[in-house]
Amino acid sequence: MEANKLDRRRFLKVTGLAGAMLAVGFDTLALGSSDSTFKKLMAEDLVKGTQLNPFVTISAEGEVTIMAHVPELGQGISQGIPAIIAEELGVSMSQVTIVKASASRQYGRQSIGGSRSVRSLFTPMRQLGASTKDVLVKAAANKWEIDPSGCEVKEGVVYRKGTNDSFTYGELVADAAKLELPKSPSLMDKKDFKIIGKATHRPDLAGKVNGTADYGIDAQTEGLLYATIERCPTLQGEVKSYDEVAAKSVKGVVEVMEVIRTVYGKKNTGIAVVADTYYAATEGRKKLNVQWNNAEFTKISTESMDKDMLELAKEEGMQHFEKGDFKENNNKKSSRGNIKIIGADYKLPHLSHTCMEPMNATVHVREDNTAEVWAPSQSPQVQRNFAKQLGIPDNEAEDKIKVHLPYLGGGFGRRSMNDSLEECFQISKSMRKPIKLIWSREDDTSQGPFRQTSFHRMTASFDLGDRIGVQHKVISPAITTQGRASNGRVPFEVMEAINTHYDFDDVSVRYAEYKNQVPIHWWRSVFGSTNAFPHESFIDEIAIELKSDPLQFRKEKLKSEPRYIKVLERLEKESNWNQKLGENEGKGVAIVESFGSIVAHAVFLKKENGQVTIPRVVSVVDCGIYVNPDQVKAQTEGNIIFGLTAALKDAITFKDGAAQQANFDTYRMLRMNEAPKDIQVHLIENDEAPGGVGEPGLPPIAPALGNAIFNLTGNRIRVLPFDLQKV
Amino acid sequence: MASYKLNINNKEYAVEAEPQTPLLWVIRDEVGLTGTKYGCGIAQCGACTIHLNGSPVRSCSLPVSAGANQSITTIEGLSDDNSHPVQKAWLEVQAPQCGYCQSGQIMSAVALLNDKPSPTDQDIDQAMSGNICRCGTYPRIRKAIHLASKETTNGSK
Repeated sequence: MEANKLDRRRFLKVTGLAGAMLAVGFDTLALGSSDSTFKKLMAEDLVKGTQLNPFVTISAEGEVTIMAHVPELGQGISQGIPAIIAEELGVSMSQVTIVKASASRQYGRQSIGGSRSVRSLFTPMRQLGASTKDVLVKAAANKWEIDPSGCEVKEGVVYRKGTNDSFTYGELVADAAKLELPKSPSLMDKKDFKIIGKATHRPDLAGKVNGTADYGIDAQTEGLLYATIERCPTLQGEVKSYDEVAAKSVKGVVEVMEVIRTVYGKKNTGIAVVADTYYAATEGRKKLNVQWNNAEFTKISTESMDKDMLELAKEEGMQHFEKGDFKENNNKKSSRGNIKIIGADYKLPHLSHTCMEPMNATVHVREDNTAEVWAPSQSPQVQRNFAKQLGIPDNEAEDKIKVHLPYLGGGFGRRSMNDSLEECFQISKSMRKPIKLIWSREDDTSQGPFRQTSFHRMTASFDLGDRIGVQHKVISPAITTQGRASNGRVPFEVMEAINTHYDFDDVSVRYAEYKNQVPIHWWRSVFGSTNAFPHESFIDEIAIELKSDPLQFRKEKLKSEPRYIKVLERLEKESNWNQKLGENEGKGVAIVESFGSIVAHAVFLKKENGQVTIPRVVSVVDCGIYVNPDQVKAQTEGNIIFGLTAALKDAITFKDGAAQQANFDTYRMLRMNEAPKDIQVHLIENDEAPGGVGEPGLPPIAPALGNAIFNLTGNRIRVLPFDLQKV
Repeated sequence: MASYKLNINNKEYAVEAEPQTPLLWVIRDEVGLTGTKYGCGIAQCGACTIHLNGSPVRSCSLPVSAGANQSITTIEGLSDDNSHPVQKAWLEVQAPQCGYCQSGQIMSAVALLNDKPSPTDQDIDQAMSGNICRCGTYPRIRKAIHLASKETTNGSK
């Protein structure tokens, strides 16, 4: 087998145009790095031209390279951020080659999550593009000995107004590089945007339809060894014994060693088997026969956790939001005797992230104490951490430790935890060999950390049409307080997506923390994925109690919130909400604000030949100013399917302390034949600041579905997941 | 350890592997064609789909010995320049998100269209439900298959 030499021409041919995406990581990986010389083979090393800032390089020939620094996990951000820079820089996307960056502090923060990349980078990246344009203009103005205001820019060319004189960016870059980037450049008017707001093709997709896109699991380097790790089924537990000799008897196995996995402060040992092929490693692992000391962790089960949460629901809980006085007015109504109370308990299970690319990492710690890392991670800047463990001073970390940032085959929050990187690092540090650690699908599904389970006690009290009081009590574990004692405050993450704008007279939102041994972590839309289902389902329960159409009820109760109203009105129109449905049809609506955006779904159901299907979902998204409308739609389509999977497919359940689901035969996913065939996403146009896009489409789908089920059958779903065919 | 001759994308490769090694890992790690992906190892997700003598198979569940002296096509073999109608359609509708499952999706779609040049939605359900996409690109994949079908049948007129 020959190593693939980097062939820029071949690559550009594959991707079609100069306005392509150079995923340099793949081809350079094959060149590898030898033990004897530490070659600098990062994407940045191959960019030609004069660098004006870490993100923008322009060659004398006018080729513009923009670094895509944010980890690309399918959200399209590898195009989105460069597009923002290009807009203010004054070039068109066809003039730009986007290069996927490595992990490096020079780019500032590269960790992602919370749907905040465009939100947090929109203005800074605009400023970066604008200030870069300003120095190029200044360079031209200097040449002409005029004020910059006498210049104008069009597609990478600076023109002297009122003349035929011009300089290309290529001709100006050497001079521009000598000038200082202005701190507060003036930004474009939204109405002049040529790139932002337009549907554009993502350059990285070219490599994703032909097998050349480099994912973490695809890392290649000279002398690579493969590792797999046997971990305790109850996630915590001590190693009692294992059969190292038996594992090593498998041909190809070269090492068996203990590795520590740290999850929210809990350190647990696993046994790694390292071999010259992945197959040999997995065969060796089968022979380990690890015995665990884990009796104390086998007591927990989904049943026991449900019981615990039910018990906690009796407590008052901590205050999060109180408007009016729910408790007081409840009592008052009770004493007058004309109160109606509806109460409902809702429950959601643990779930796995299940990225299609299972957890993996590749690390090469060399004999000379330098290191090369392939980090398919939402938090890829591991240099400082690894430097500390290698005794390298902090200021040498980036020189001595190079971190490739491959594409991520899904993240959904799971890849913001670097446990697989840490494990791989330990093995390579010990063996001083390049190691690729691959988690099996079984490891990936059952070892967590998981999406939290939660229990919700909903109460509404009606004073016969007069004062309405609503309480939402959340009982669940929290992410940020794992591994430490509760501090009496409601953890910030647990109240996502609970809408306190509904104009009820008394509104009460409370929280009781449920601490238990099952580790949880950020999962797509986090607490939005568990709070919105009870909240928006219960809004329907109230609407129906008051004999109101659920969509009209929401419009009424949110009438002082113009952005919500615009979304609901648009949904009403686009979904033809007011049209009467047939006998065997149902519809449901939900609207949720989360991560800076408002999304509403209308779900339509059909019952035919005894089968219930979801033929159509209509969505309206208000995410403020957006970069690529087609990608907003794609993310929303994806969120809908991700959320339907969570509502309709398998939960992660625990028995004797271990997760009972391991692979796609028992932890099933929604497939092509079950996905709605017609998903329409409509975007609200406004000038509001960018809101999130990667997650906001998820929280409203389960309640919209549940509300549609009620509309179709009269049955109220309060526990997820449920069987669509048994409603 | 045994020696095998693998014909992949009309090229001959000589490899050494244990006979029971899944073909998937030999293609990825010994031959170096990493477009075919590991997703589950139990033929449930379709990420590892290749063509064996023109038919779609799960390479994670086929031992390398079964792939020897057969005609294997992987995602890399569809074209040199993304010119395969299915690749073109995929890009036209912007189907992939993270993209990890897409090699397998495309290989299954190509096999479907070879078998049924004008598939119905039901045909698509049947042929494509073995391929899981966690990012939820199913609607766009469906669109792409219809588009590729239209382009191909139009072209052949």
